[in-house]
Amino acid sequence: MSGLILKDFLILRKTLRSYLLFVAVYSAVASSGFWSASFMGGFIIMMLAILPMNVFAYDKQAKWDTYGLALPVSRTKTVAARYLTVLVLTAVSVALSAALGAALSLLGRMEETFAEYLLTCTVMAVLALLTNAMMLPLLYKFGSERARMMLFGVMGTIVLVGVVVLAPLGGIEWLKSLELAEPAMEQVAAVPVIAAAAGLVLLALSFLLSRHFYGSKDI
Amino acid sequence: MTNCIEIKGLVKKYKTFTLGPIGLTVPGGSILGLIGENGAGKSTLIKSMLGIVKPSGGSVTLLGADPDHAKEDIGIVLDDCFFSEYLRVKDVNSVLGRVYKGWDRGLFTDYLDKFGLSGAKNIKELSRGMRMKLSLAAALAHRPKLLLLDEATSGLDPVVREEILDEFLDFISDDDHAILISSHITSDLEKAADYIAYLHQGQLLMCDEKDRLLENYGKLVCARADLEQVDRGYIVTIRKGQYSTEALIRRRGDFQRLYPRLTVDPVTLDELMVFIVKGGKA
Repeated sequence: MSGLILKDFLILRKTLRSYLLFVAVYSAVASSGFWSASFMGGFIIMMLAILPMNVFAYDKQAKWDTYGLALPVSRTKTVAARYLTVLVLTAVSVALSAALGAALSLLGRMEETFAEYLLTCTVMAVLALLTNAMMLPLLYKFGSERARMMLFGVMGTIVLVGVVVLAPLGGIEWLKSLELAEPAMEQVAAVPVIAAAAGLVLLALSFLLSRHFYGSKDI
Repeated sequence: MTNCIEIKGLVKKYKTFTLGPIGLTVPGGSILGLIGENGAGKSTLIKSMLGIVKPSGGSVTLLGADPDHAKEDIGIVLDDCFFSEYLRVKDVNSVLGRVYKGWDRGLFTDYLDKFGLSGAKNIKELSRGMRMKLSLAAALAHRPKLLLLDEATSGLDPVVREEILDEFLDFISDDDHAILISSHITSDLEKAADYIAYLHQGQLLMCDEKDRLLENYGKLVCARADLEQVDRGYIVTIRKGQYSTEALIRRRGDFQRLYPRLTVDPVTLDELMVFIVKGGKA
């Protein structure tokens, strides 16, 4: 299974190198105060979150699945390897964002507190996990092209519902009128733990679905 | 000598195509050549044997075990190189070294040297011949006992094909080893195969020792009037031309003794396929 994870990372090697360049540029821009450090951290995490989807496209291009199933690795382990790739990529992106945030904080180039920055990074990491939890079963079921179209469809529908339906009906005013109480510090501190746990649970459920789709698929 | 491949009643059903039921065995120390026209089901058979597509029925035993448990000892070369163009040749060593328990990194490097492949090269820079050699190195570096090869020599020049066939013959010198190779290039199979299986429209029409098959069948070229005198039991198929008639004859030796006046030539595997697909009934 580790061989399959390594293969994913080797395929992404060039992309990851070019992403590092982006990270350097974004960090420089963030340190200049042009945009907030939280934006930079969140962007790095979401940038890496979409990479597993690219691996599906690269695998399809090389027809890897046919070969992969002839190797002494079960279908369950093949799917598990892809999910571990997602987790490793997410962990790397969070670690990278945290390290850059710490550096900016130490240099006094961060407007927000480091705790707020980490909270933003955690929320983005959970969003990254959720995106993959949603996309991976679709990718296993429908393949990379159709799954991407479906993602765009879902995103488009959300935006459309928000802009065309909820906003004209006064949805934003309604949200403002809720006047949510300021959360206590303990509640804020619990957010990353709860969110990460929820993300992992959803990823586990997503894995079961993907395994079901891939297990019954003729390549 | 034990059987390296045992297939019993294998069936794979699609909406518009059904493979099988297929039954065949390949003993150790031998090469089975799988022939058949495009779409005959050769790739489907190999994929069904490996569980890449799930068979609708029947059983497959490879090296005395269930295919999933035999994969450690199976080397595969499919009709293309399935390694991403974003990988380098030496990456295959790192990846498959973590996949196969018996992977021998040194042996893989030896094969790369033998095939003139540079580990530092990107796979996208390799020609088709070089990619097939890479696939073959990857198929052999874990010291498999069984090779399953789907069109492994197609698209290669004669020199490379000869090198690869030599490699197969070397592999098969061990009695515990066997090869199943599907190919359109029947001349390769005439050189290397011990057995020939002929798939036509999903059905196994023939499966026999190659020498016996080529000795059994013959091509009769004669006038229509002569053909009409021939016992129909000898004729497999007939191809009628403007000036002459050709027939595929079975039991060639008996036929020649019975009809010494008629000339029967040996057939090649190509001719055998064309006669069966294009020929009319006797």
